[in-house]
Amino acid sequence: MLPLSLLRTAQNHPMLVELKNGETYNGHLVSCDNWMNINLREVICTSRDGDKFWRMPECYIRGSTIKYLRIPDEVIDMVKEETMVKNRGREQKGGRGGGAGDRQNQRTRPAARGNFGRGGSKPGPVGRNPPFQKKKQ
Amino acid sequence: MNKPELEGTAHLLDELDKKLMVLLRDGRTLIGYLRSVDQFANLVLHKAIERIHVGKEYGDIPRGVFIVRGENVVLLGEIDKEKEDNLPLNEVSVDDILDAQRKEQELKQEQQKLITKALKERGLQLMGDLMTHDDMF
Repeated sequence: MLPLSLLRTAQNHPMLVELKNGETYNGHLVSCDNWMNINLREVICTSRDGDKFWRMPECYIRGSTIKYLRIPDEVIDMVKEETMVKNRGREQKGGRGGGAGDRQNQRTRPAARGNFGRGGSKPGPVGRNPPFQKKKQ
Repeated sequence: MNKPELEGTAHLLDELDKKLMVLLRDGRTLIGYLRSVDQFANLVLHKAIERIHVGKEYGDIPRGVFIVRGENVVLLGEIDKEKEDNLPLNEVSVDDILDAQRKEQELKQEQQKLITKALKERGLQLMGDLMTHDDMF
């Protein structure tokens, strides 16, 4: 989980953003991008000395001006649960294509690619986007 | 985490999940568990505290989860769990350390004033309004 992915999962959570110049912005994260530019809503801005305050309904902060962001603990807990669930799913499928049991599937793959994803030699529905079919076990 | 392609290159992957001290460019010290890093040295610090030192005293302020923008980091170092318990410093309450810090800052400002005054009398205007510039940090 990269720092910026964590920031993305912190969307809709309250956070504190401190800028390089010492000003802090308290608000809920609306959105962010790969440059750490962020949108906040219901913001309280505090001056560097903590003696002046401004309220604003929303604001945009350029990523390069940020010193750090403080996010609630529960966001990390959310991430932990998420990755645990993902790992569990992976175990059931037998890893990410690295396992020995996967070898046979790999051999058929080139053919499958030429057929627009219609697996192997079985005749399937014609057309670019054939309807999804359940694989027979 | 022994990737051969990272042999001989500076990286932070070995520090993941360790307790680290991070020094920021504004002089603040954060201590927490490093959970994630990226190519910009953006950091995620978990269970973080801010430690304020004044002389031989220090105080810890619990801060939670930090996403620190990499460019604000000066250095980070692992906390030695064994040496951590017998520091040659004594811990005081948050209020006390904040008080001490404020007094220290006031003293510094007084000294700075005296220096600028003395320089002015000698026809030197060093730093002028540079010290109040927001982008110093």
